[in-house]
Formats: sequence, structure tokens, C-alpha cells
Amino acid sequence: MCLALPRRGVSPQILGAILASTAGGLALVALGAMNPTQLPNVYFYVFSSVALGGALRVITHPRPVYAALYFVLTVIATAGLFLILSAEFMAFALIIVYAGAILITYLFVIMLATQAPQEGEIEVLTEYDTSAREPIAATVVGFLLLAVLSTMMFTGVATLKAPTAEKRDGMTDSLLADTPRKIERAMRSAGTLEPGEHVKIDTASGTAQIDFAARTVAVTGTDGEGQTRLAALPTNLSLSNAERLGFSLLRDHPGAIEIAGVILLMAMLGAVVLSRKQVQIDEDAKLLQSRSLAASLAKSNIDNRTNSGGGIAS
Amino acid sequence: MSLLINSVFLGQAGFPAEFSAPALSHYILVSALMFIIGLIGFITRRNLIVMFLCTELMFQAAGIAMVAFGRYHLDLTGQTFVVFVLTVAAAEASMALALIVLLFRRKESLNAEEWQDMKG
Amino acid sequence: MLLTHILAAGAIQSQGIAEQAGSGFAQTLGVGLTSGLSAGLASGVVGSAGVAIAAGHWTTSLIVLLPLLSFVLCALCAAGRVKSKLPAWITVVCLGGAFAFAVHSYLGLDGHIGGGEGAAVHGGVAQITHLFDWINFAWGSGPGEHFIASFAFYVDTLTCLWMLFVTGLATLIALYASEYMSHDVGAGYCRFFAAFSLFVFSMACLVMGDNLLLLYLGWEGVGLCSYLLIGYFYKKPSAVAAAKKAFIVNRIGDLFLALGIMLCWVHFGSIEYKEIFAKAAPYIELLKQGNIDSIPAIAQLIPILLMLGAFGKSAQLPLYVWLPDAMEGPTPVSALIHAATMVTAGVYLIARTYPLFLISEHALPIVGWVGALTALVAATIAMAQFDIKRIMAYSTVSQLGYMFAGLAVLTSTGAAAHVFTHAFFKAMLFLSCGAVMHGFAGQLDLRKLSGVGSMPGWRVVGIAMLVGCLNLAGFPIITAGYWSKDMILGEAFANPHTIAIGWILLVTAGLTAYYTFRVYFRVFVGPKYYEPGDELHADGGDHDAHAAHGKHEGHAGHAHAGHAGHAGQEAHADRGHTGTASHFHPHPPGWAINTVLGVLAVAAFVAIIPVTMNPFKSAPAAGVNAATAGEHEAHGGWIGHLVQSSTAATVGTAAYLETHVDGAAHSGQSNSTDAGHAGAGHAAHATFFGFEAHKAMMVVSGIVGAIGILVAFMLHYVGRTTAARSKADAIVPLLGPLAYWAQRKWFVDEFYDILIVKPLWVLSNIFALVDKYLVDGLVDAFGWAPRAVGRTLRPSQSGEIHGYALGMAGGIAVLLVIVLLVTLQ
Repeated sequence: MCLALPRRGVSPQILGAILASTAGGLALVALGAMNPTQLPNVYFYVFSSVALGGALRVITHPRPVYAALYFVLTVIATAGLFLILSAEFMAFALIIVYAGAILITYLFVIMLATQAPQEGEIEVLTEYDTSAREPIAATVVGFLLLAVLSTMMFTGVATLKAPTAEKRDGMTDSLLADTPRKIERAMRSAGTLEPGEHVKIDTASGTAQIDFAARTVAVTGTDGEGQTRLAALPTNLSLSNAERLGFSLLRDHPGAIEIAGVILLMAMLGAVVLSRKQVQIDEDAKLLQSRSLAASLAKSNIDNRTNSGGGIAS
Repeated sequence: MSLLINSVFLGQAGFPAEFSAPALSHYILVSALMFIIGLIGFITRRNLIVMFLCTELMFQAAGIAMVAFGRYHLDLTGQTFVVFVLTVAAAEASMALALIVLLFRRKESLNAEEWQDMKG
Repeated sequence: MLLTHILAAGAIQSQGIAEQAGSGFAQTLGVGLTSGLSAGLASGVVGSAGVAIAAGHWTTSLIVLLPLLSFVLCALCAAGRVKSKLPAWITVVCLGGAFAFAVHSYLGLDGHIGGGEGAAVHGGVAQITHLFDWINFAWGSGPGEHFIASFAFYVDTLTCLWMLFVTGLATLIALYASEYMSHDVGAGYCRFFAAFSLFVFSMACLVMGDNLLLLYLGWEGVGLCSYLLIGYFYKKPSAVAAAKKAFIVNRIGDLFLALGIMLCWVHFGSIEYKEIFAKAAPYIELLKQGNIDSIPAIAQLIPILLMLGAFGKSAQLPLYVWLPDAMEGPTPVSALIHAATMVTAGVYLIARTYPLFLISEHALPIVGWVGALTALVAATIAMAQFDIKRIMAYSTVSQLGYMFAGLAVLTSTGAAAHVFTHAFFKAMLFLSCGAVMHGFAGQLDLRKLSGVGSMPGWRVVGIAMLVGCLNLAGFPIITAGYWSKDMILGEAFANPHTIAIGWILLVTAGLTAYYTFRVYFRVFVGPKYYEPGDELHADGGDHDAHAAHGKHEGHAGHAHAGHAGHAGQEAHADRGHTGTASHFHPHPPGWAINTVLGVLAVAAFVAIIPVTMNPFKSAPAAGVNAATAGEHEAHGGWIGHLVQSSTAATVGTAAYLETHVDGAAHSGQSNSTDAGHAGAGHAAHATFFGFEAHKAMMVVSGIVGAIGILVAFMLHYVGRTTAARSKADAIVPLLGPLAYWAQRKWFVDEFYDILIVKPLWVLSNIFALVDKYLVDGLVDAFGWAPRAVGRTLRPSQSGEIHGYALGMAGGIAVLLVIVLLVTLQ
């Protein structure tokens, strides 16, 4: 990883960008080449390159609007990565929340917080957008961190514990017992249930009785009583990611949900409070504003006069 | 060669199949790179809005790492935490943007270097 | 209430002594001493060095407390800005009261002595008056584990002798000073008398203390008061310098004294006199047996340290340089402190701890040689000085040398007698010089004054001066100074191996007579001439005061007729002034000065009596060998009786002489020879050219004195027509460099300057630099360091977010690197 990230003069350096991405790509390939039998998907490479490229453009593009848009691209690529990781819910949640809400807010703020460009100077960039600040130091520090993180990773990943066998099996199926309706629906559509039969629900815990080894489920007659019989589970029945996530959220981390709700409430209230403040404009800023206003007025007067003069003439 | 192509196109199975450790290291590398990019951007750029955008980038990277680890350990806790991270990021972004608007109104500039009252 | 308390304390003290005293002393206590006395007397030498302790009367503490009261009252006067002569009268009254109580104490004590309880006991009787527990500190119950130094007064005959003349002279000189300092009435007057009273208090503590620590307190106190009083004219740089010099040179001696006291405590386990004498008694026994070598070396070292302290205070040879400079102080100060009292503190110390000196092999010889050489050197310097007060100062140094030599030749009686007589006549000499100085606006140069004694109004001063000079020169028979000096000279020649000292002292006697009468013949007789001194402004317009002085009547018995007749114009017209055309008139002394001078002159003659006879002799107790007791008392008269009844008695002198002559080999024979040399041990071991030493000295010293006076007469009176020159000036060139060197005080001061003062200056400058750069630098560094750190770190607080972010990221990176390195180990 000892390839230098290009200097960010934030004057667009396509060369720099290509160099960076090539470097990153090579790194990934090298990584893959180390262990050819267990490579990730090709989609992984696609999505990750898009994400990283987008990230690079976020930090290098001089215009804030473009930076925001590139960020949207990055978000979408990240969502793709989530998809590959079987986190579909997260992927779409990411797109909805980030790209849909946060980034829109960013764009609004960019609109609000941009000085109105004077006529004829649409293309001007503010000075602070043009040049970066201490790029060398930043790059060195980033480098250092990257080296550390990657070293940690390389040495540490090998020592990660593999997930236990029980967990492996348990994760796949145990939650199924908590979704008797789903089982019923699947069995009905598969035709393994007689009409009028229901999956037996244990009144105490509300779960179905499943035998995972034989892949059978207890089924009762219409009246709830009657004999139970064991029906076969459909073979490819499994919970979806959203269902699992739901179970995880509500069953394992209920307190965090509450707190998250409170945080959002606070954010809302805070936004309301902040937006009500009357702000004293800085003296210099006022002066600038009045000058620009006067200049534009003067200009418009001249234009009007010339226009009107021209208009009268014509 | 076929092995290579196989593994490239099919290589990684979905949940609930096992997730291999080398594959995990790929994802972690991507996360680290994105995080560093976000960090460099935060230190380098002077536009307040772009700075916050970079912090969002860092959140993203963290999220990738969390989901990847969750997938590796076959535990949905990783995704759960990404939900919360998302929540916090949203709240923080809204507050930050509100403050940026207020700051802009004061100085008519988005330059982070304009605010040096804590100097010395 | 207080009385009973003190009496009870005194009683407990004496009982305590009874318990602690060894077997040798149980006999000496109380009544009924027959067995011990007869045993002691059979050997012909008086008994062991035990002291009989009795309770003291509470009035003895008043001797010390009255001057303290006077000090407090004068200080109050100073605070209250009193502008009259009130402080002087307070001082005179209080000191007079102290003198009265001193007399009372003596009478109380003498009754005991005369009654025979301790009549022939060597140490005599001492009364201890316990005032309060000053230091009483015990850290264990063993013998060496407690330290007592109580504020108690040890009154024996030696103490009485000293206190009588100290308080008496102090009273007279206070009276003198009331007029002498009258031009300074106001804050300076109060300050003077406050310091004066404090001095008397300190001297009383010194003399009357019952332990060495109280003596040291008094020692330091008199040093302090000397400093205060010498530097009385604090606006004069020379006075300030002289005060500092006196204090510092004294300090050198004080160091050795302190060491001696500490060593005393280490060896004897106590610093109280009664304990010390009790514990020194065995050593005295050893001395009497001639076994001086078995006395431990530490015990022999203590007196050497004590004597070095005495040298500082009493201006002996290496440490005398402060006394001449001390003449910068006002004359009453010079008279009291530097003639009569403070400088005799050293003599007192040695006399008080005389048993310790006797047991030491080297102490007394050193004392003797130092004393003799001091006497000689000082006399030579005095011969060449022109400032009459300086001459008197050097004569004081010289006479102190005599006293120390007297102690060394084993006549403590002679030394004490010389202290006694010297106090009177030296005080008188100083007061006369002071009167001259006072009257002639500070003029003291004998080349500028002449014939003062025959000027109107100056007759008393002239007579007083003559009496003093006769005493100092030792004019035979009629002067007390002759008798006391003779005692010392006689004893010096009587002991075989102090004969060299005796010759030195004899030569010095001749020189003394010469320079004393040089002053007299130049200043007080001869053609009348005077020049005003430097303090002319003080006397310029004081004509009214002259008239006032002229009107004051005298007192019976003093020839003031000329003085009384002066009034107004007549007074002025009668002042003869030849030569100078100024309008300056000398200012003859007033009634106070004349009174005091008269009293002192009479006392100087009356002092012959106590020195030679004992009018208060009481019948000896039963069982005492009348012959030895009588002989003992007859030698030295009343003073001798007082001294020999105290611990300053010369004991075991015969044995002492034996061992010092022949060494310890003759220890076995000493007992038999003791019987042969009965009594006070002044048997003639040596002779003066075949005559018995004492009788020979009586004649020889008289002749030497007369020769000195004659030489002075020839050189300084005969044929002298002006004040400035005399026949002596013709001889001076013949002496070559000697005269010059003598006049420049043998360059001792310059020698000390090079040897000690300059190196100390260099050292202290070095230390000043060390202090400034090292010590201050260190402290400053403590202040500099945080500021420097702050200056370095402040740029990191730039106020810019990016800087902070970079810092954070960098910090995290570094931390992670460290963690990585650690975990990768």
C-alpha cells in the first residue's frame, strides 16, 4: 500500500484520480491473488470500485453540489455492497435514508448557503473551495492510519473465530418457529397442508413446533383439537433478512430502539429551536451585502436606462 | 483458470452460508480505504458542507465494516447497529446543517477557517 | 505569695543538692562540718571544691529585675516621645535600687559566711534564688538525659563583689550621662538610657546566673548593648563601622564560649554551676594529689574554649582590635562598658570557672602569656597615639592583660582586686576625657590641648585626672592601683616559671606610667591652649548654658569655689584662649559631671582599704585553723576574703605548682610538701634577686612607676611652650620605624583586613553571585518553565478546525501504531 495518494490541489486532477483508483484496484487484486480460492464476487469489485471512486471525487471536486452528488453515487454503491452481503433491508434503508433524506437536505442547505453569484460570474469558485489546506500533512496522516488499519486487519483476521456450528445452524432455522403464519402460507402454497388444517401454535410461547432434523412441523385440525400430525416443511423455507432484522432489533436490542427514537426527537426539536434564532449578521458581511446590493442595483439601473433608452428609441 | 472464473463469478455465497475470512478482509480493506478517504477529505477541505459530507463518508465506511463482520459471524447484530448508526447520522446531519446555515448567515461564508475565535 | 514560692523553690533546690551530692559533700552541707573540715585542714589545704548551697532571698532577683524595669520604662519614654531628662532619672533610681539590693544581698550572704557554716570550706556558700524555670527538659531518666537551665541566680561572694561595683559604677555613670548626653534630649536620650539599662540587666544576668546558659545570655546581651551604644551616633559611618567590628569580633569569641558550654554539658552532664563544681571536685582531688595526667582530656579542653571566649569579650591579643574603635561611642559608654564592666566579663568567667582552669594543664599558662603579651603590645601602641581616648582604650586593653596574667599566676585575688580598682580609676579617666571632649567640642588630640587643668571650672576634672593617672601608673603606697598591681607582680615573680611573665609585666608597668603621664603633662598642665574640635556647632551659641552651669552649686567636700563664682560675663572673660582668634569658649562641666568625678576620685583612694584590709572580718568558726584562716584573709584584704570564699579561690596551688614544675613524677611527695606550704600557697618558691618576691615587688614596682612618671615629666612638661610639640618629638626620629609602627598600631588592623576581611569579601561576593544566578535562577526557572511550555504549545491552539482535526487524526494514528507495535511483540 505504499503508493502515494495523489495530492489534492482540488484543481481537478484526473490523472491523480486515475492513479489513485489504479492503486486501489491493484491493491484489491493483490489481496485477491493471495487467496485465489476464496475470492468475493465480481460484483464486489464493481461496487467497491464505484464506491471508492465516488468517495475520491467527493473529496476532490471543487463544487459542493457535485460533491454531494458523487456522495449519492457512493451511497448507492455501498448499498450494492450491502446487497452482496445479504443485507437487503440495510441496502434499501441506506438508500432511502441517506440518498433520499440526508443528501436532499444537504442540497437544500447548499442552495441556502451559497452566495448569490453576481451576473456574469456564474462560474466563479470561492477561494476556499479552490485550494485544499495542508494536503501533504493530511495525506501523510491518512497514510499512516491506513497502514495501521491494514496491518491490523491482515494480522487479525486470521485469528478471528469462525462462527460456531450451532450458530450456523441455529441462525438458519431456529427463528422459523417464531413465524407460524409464514410457515402456514408456505405450506399452503406448497400444498402440504390439508384444508382446514393449521400449524399448531404453542399457546404459551406462540411458536410452532418444528423438528429441524426431520424438517417436520406439527399441524393440527381446524378446531384446534384433534390429532396432530407432522407435516414436512417446504425445503427452501427460510426467513428473509427483514424478518431476521426485525427479530434482532426488537428482541435483542429494544432499549436501543427507544434511545434512537429519543435521539431523533431531540434532533427534531433542536432543528426547530435553531431555526428560530435571529442571527446578527457580521459587520463585514453586512457591508459586503450592501455593496453587492448597491452594485447590482446600479447595474440594473444602467441596464434599465439603456434598455428603456433603447426601448424608446425602437 | 476455471477455478478462478468460478470463484470470481460465484465465489461468495449468500447468507446463511458461511463467509470466508479472506473475503472478509476484502470488505474490511474497502471500508478502511473509504474511511481514510473521508478523513483526508475532512482535514483537507475548507468548505463546511463538504467537510460534513466527508464525515458522512466515514459513517458509510463504518457501516460497511459492521455489516461485513456481522455477515462473517452470522450474527445480525452488525446490521442492527448499522440501523442505529444511520439514525444517529441522520440526527447529526440535520443538526449540523442547521448550524451551518446559521453560521453562514453570520459571516456570509462557508469557509471553516473564518471561525477562529478559540485561537490561543 | 511569690516570696514563699521562691523560698520554697530555693529550699527544694538545696534539698536536691543534698540528694545529688556525693559523699564528699554531704559533709559540707548544713551545720556541723567538723569531720570534713578537720580532715581537709590537716593537710594544710582547705577542703574539697564543694559548695554549700542555701536558699536565696527573693530580693536578689531585684538586682536583675530593676534594670529590666528601667529598660522597659525608658522604652516607653521613647515611644511616648518624652523630651525631658526623665529616662536618666529613671535609670539612676533603678540602678541605685539595684545597688542597694546588691548590698543587702552581700550582707545576707556574709552572715552565713561569718557564721562559719562554710567559713573555711573552699567553695564557700552560695545562695540560689530560683526565679522561674526557663529551660527544663528531660528526655529520659538517665543521668545525662535532662537539660536544666533555669532563670536562677547564684549568689556567692564573688558575685557580690562584682555586682557591688557594677551597679555602683553604673549608677554613678548614669548620673554623669544625664548631663553628658543632655544635648541629645529626645528620642536619642531615651534610646541611650534604654540601652544602658538593658546593658546593666545583661551584665547582671551574666554575673548572677546560676548556669552557663544564663551567663551566655548575659554575654550576648552585653555584646548587643555594646553594639547599640557604640553605634549610638548611627549617622556617623565610623561609629557604625566600629559597632559592627565590636560585635563581629566578639562573636568570634562567643563561638568558642558556646563550644565550651556545650563541651561542659557533654562532659559534666549539666551546665549549672553547682553541678559542675560538684562533678569537678574529684578532679580537684586528683590535682591535689599531683595526678594531673589522669584528669580526662575533655575536661582539660573545656577551660581552653572558655578562655578563647573570654579573649574576645575582654579584648585580649588576637581579638582586641574592637576596643579602640569602640571609643566612637559616647564617653559614658566607654567608661562603663569598655572600662569597668563588659570587658571584665571575661575575667569574671575565668574566675567563676576557676576550678576548671586549675585542673587543666595548659589553660592557665596560655592565659598568662596572652595576657602579658597583650599588656605589652597595647602599652607600646598607647605610647604613640595622640587621641587621648584612644590612649585610654589601649591602656584598658593593657590592664586587662594584667588581670588575665594575674589569674594565670594563681592570684585570683590579685586579678579581682585589679578589676575592682581598675574599674574606678579607669572610669574616672574616661569620664575626665569625656568632660574634656564635651567641653572642647570634641577635641581629643593632645597636640591641640594644653593646660586644661588650670582653666577655670576645670579644676575638678584636673584633680580627678591626676588621681586616675596616679592609680594607673601605680604610684606607690597612696594609690589603690599600686596595691592591686603589686599583688599580681608579686605573685608573678613568686612562681618559678612565671618569672618571664613577671618581667614583661614589670616593663609594661614602666611604659604604662610613661604614657599615662604623657597625657597628663601634655593636656592638663603647661601653657594654656586649646583648639575646638569637630563638634563646634554644638557648642557655638550655648552661652546661656554656660551661665546655667556656672550657677550650679556643688556638694560638700569638693573644691568648686572657682566654679561657683562664675556668672555671666565673668565666665566668658576668664577663659583663656591663646592663639586661636575664634569666638569659641570651652564648656566646663556641670554639677553632675563634677559630682561623679569627685565621688570616683574619693573612691579611688578609699579603694585601698578593701584591697589591703578586711574591715568586715568576722571571727572564724570553731575548729578552723585560725592561723591559716587569718593568713588567708589577710592576703588581699576584704576582696581577697570575698574571692577566696567563692569558687574562685586558688586551691591546691602548691600541688599545681609542683606538677607544673616537675611533672607527675613527684606526685607522691606533694602531700608532704603541702603541709609545708601552708595556707594560700604563696610561699616563696622563687625569689627576686634573692629577696622575697612580694616584698621586693612592692619596692621595685614603685620605683619603676616613678621612673616612668619622671621620664614623662622630662619629655613632656619641662621646657614645653606649645601644645603641639615637646621634647619627645626630638627623640622620635631616633627610634626610627618603631615609632611609626607603634603609632599605626603595628598594622594589626590592616593585617586582619588582608587576612580575613578581604577573603571574606571575595567569598561573599562569590556567594552573592551564586545567590543571584544559581538560587534565584533556579527559582526563576520554575517560573520560566511553564511560560516556555505555554509559548511552545500555544501555536497548536490555532482556532482552526482543520488543525484540530489533523491533530486528532495524527494522535489516533500514533496511538494505533503504538498499540500495533505492542501487540505484535
